[in-house]
Amino acid sequence: MDTALDRTIRRDISREYFSRERLAEHHYRSFNAFLTRGMQEVVDEKATIDTDIGDKEGEEPVHVELGDVRVVTPRVREADGSEELLYPQEARLRNITYSAPVFMEMSIVKGEEGDQRVVDSTETKIGRMPIMVGSEKCNIAGFTDQELIDIGEDPADPGGYFIVNGSERVLMTSEDLAPNKILAEYDTKYGDEIQVAKTFSQRRGYRALVLCERTRNGLLEVSFPSVSGSINFVTLVRALGLESDEEIVHKVSNDPEVVKYMLENLEEAEVQTEEEAIEALGKRVASGQGKNYQLKRANYVIDRYLLPHLHEDGVEEEDVRINKAHYLCRMAEACFELALQRREADDKDHYANKRLKVSGDLMKDLFRTALNKLARDVKYQLERANMRNRNLSVSTVVRSDVLTERLEHPIATGNWVGGRSGVSQLVDRTDFMGVLSHLRRLRSPLSRSQPHFEARDLHATQWGRICPSETPEGPNCGLVKNFAQAMELSQNVEDEQELKRELASMGVQGIPGLEGTTRTPADD
Amino acid sequence: MHISYQLQHTSLEIDMTGFEKSAICPECEGRLRTIDTELICEECGLVVDTDAIDRGPEWRSFDGSSNRKRTGAPLTRSRHDRGLSTEIGYETSLRLTGRKRQQVARMRREHSRARFESKAARNQMAGFSEIRRIVARLSLPVWTTERSCVLFESAQNADLLRGRSIEGFAAATVYATCRTSAISRTIDEVVAVAHADEAELKAAYRALNRELEIQTGPIDPAEYLPRYASRLELARCVEHRASQYVADLRDAGLIDGKNPSGVAAACLYAAAMRVEESDPITQAAAAETGNVSPVTIRSTFETLRDLKCESH
Repeated sequence: MDTALDRTIRRDISREYFSRERLAEHHYRSFNAFLTRGMQEVVDEKATIDTDIGDKEGEEPVHVELGDVRVVTPRVREADGSEELLYPQEARLRNITYSAPVFMEMSIVKGEEGDQRVVDSTETKIGRMPIMVGSEKCNIAGFTDQELIDIGEDPADPGGYFIVNGSERVLMTSEDLAPNKILAEYDTKYGDEIQVAKTFSQRRGYRALVLCERTRNGLLEVSFPSVSGSINFVTLVRALGLESDEEIVHKVSNDPEVVKYMLENLEEAEVQTEEEAIEALGKRVASGQGKNYQLKRANYVIDRYLLPHLHEDGVEEEDVRINKAHYLCRMAEACFELALQRREADDKDHYANKRLKVSGDLMKDLFRTALNKLARDVKYQLERANMRNRNLSVSTVVRSDVLTERLEHPIATGNWVGGRSGVSQLVDRTDFMGVLSHLRRLRSPLSRSQPHFEARDLHATQWGRICPSETPEGPNCGLVKNFAQAMELSQNVEDEQELKRELASMGVQGIPGLEGTTRTPADD
Repeated sequence: MHISYQLQHTSLEIDMTGFEKSAICPECEGRLRTIDTELICEECGLVVDTDAIDRGPEWRSFDGSSNRKRTGAPLTRSRHDRGLSTEIGYETSLRLTGRKRQQVARMRREHSRARFESKAARNQMAGFSEIRRIVARLSLPVWTTERSCVLFESAQNADLLRGRSIEGFAAATVYATCRTSAISRTIDEVVAVAHADEAELKAAYRALNRELEIQTGPIDPAEYLPRYASRLELARCVEHRASQYVADLRDAGLIDGKNPSGVAAACLYAAAMRVEESDPITQAAAAETGNVSPVTIRSTFETLRDLKCESH
């Protein structure tokens, strides 16, 4: 091989990877995705703000419908009331926030179901969103080097950070365990070794840990939020609609040894039919209550807290339940295979089992809680205005400082929603390399005060993704990492339905009705 | 106000007489001046001396967390309890179950009920939240909230709210604060975003003005210029020319008794016509921005023109 040529080519590639656009690309790609669709998704999830108006006799109910959300580019409103475009350097020098007004369409709807009329419908300013320098809503996007110099900006600056009260804050990329994946592992309970299959089920900011354990006497038990303790696997699967013994066994596995284990479980079963199973579940989740309430509560818990990630818009509740049953069967299979030593425990440090939360994902979490807070405030303002017999209008019930404060404060202090701290950090301006390194840094949420030797070790799957040598010494060693030069960060797909259709067209069967069967064991 | 000025004055004199040597810059022998906590040279900008005490957060944390602060947020007049409220929170790390959880939920409810010691405090909270809302909607600087709230509280103490609306007073205090701080907003602008209607605002403002003796004079039309200029998308030079026109009219005593909003809009209209780099605007656009009739614009414009002719 011609090594000289090889070297020049390598150098060219290397240079491309070190271009200004590439260095903080993961940050603004993620933030742009948040601006273009993430924000709208959050608003669509919320969809309406319900009020308590109409609970009283002879009063018409009122609710607010949320529509399109829109962000403009950063601007500053002076005390004298004039408004101008804001550039990053001015924000830094004047100690102000580089943020853009956010507008949302809101309509106040009055009346009962079927006889509804819109009282007021306007696009109103709901607050200000801090804008990432270099993102598509940034005022310097698309500027040439000379134009950047003219407005006092450094043409070599990679961007990828926010400016809040004049200080530059970067959101640390955090490395989390992959959600919605089955992880099988060993655990000990009362001194015995047991097998556990875990899933962090995540949907729309709600995260629920579902555990499936094979206890020492070979029985399977499932635990999930809102149910204290654990529930017999067979009971839960029957409650979800898998009734007959044969169905349950075959959905778990066709392996004779696993079938034997499964039959042991079925012999010990407490219930035989779906109704009995839901009753049994009702007794667990609402013991001491009336029977009707128990049933209602049991159904609610199944639909709300059990494996929420399997819910999808446009899929029947019935199908979702069957999917949940199939998913639980996969978890059971993982436990049994582990018990029979057909597979090894999943490696949590394997990079296939990790997901990175970049600025856009973090901002989405923040925007969701900020919007909820705003919704609560709108509800309160509406109820007050109604109580005092005021005209209900969109412009008088929205307090724009609520959202602004909820968005700015976490970025300024680093205290994120969900109790995490240190999420945003002051950009390290010691030198240019310091900035680049800081923007490409990622942090493990594990505590630095505990050993966690395996988590700190260099894992083979980090090849090409994480720099093997750049990590701090001391307590953070191996927990704070840096991207490799040629790292490419993939994003989640925009439209999951389309992906599924594509998979189906390639011959994958059972979508979306039988989602569970398409899953491979969680170790890639 | 007067006393503090005197104190500062005497301390400066002591500096000048007692420490004559140190009052000269060691680098360029320029005069020294105290600004905030720093003693700096007026000529070369050298910082000769600073406050020796570091008033920033602690250098190490005492409770093991990364937070070095030992205090909370500063006291504020814009909360009914000066921002010292306590809340029983929802700690996620310690999971409460069963009776304990119910007990804490009851405590939380009772605690939130006990937040207000009186009906007046409850009204005050309602007024303050309305003030915050109006200030945010008008994108006013944050300190206006504080001042408006103080004014609201004094109105309450002077027993002005009896028989008048809380929302009216909230809107009126914001309006009054803007007027006294030379960042005037028109009544229409405030009413557009307030819960209160115009009659309530005016009744409240009259009461404030009469009983609390707010220091306001006639509104200077120049205060409206930057806002109207940016709303009409006019350039800086047009705004500058318009402010000259306002000054000319004021000097000639021709703005007394005129609607300041109309004068501001008319001056911008005239300036946009005169400044060559700018496209002229229509009288209708100017009138709409100032919320006056085109006739008002025309009459002020003619006054201005006559004034210009006389001076030439």
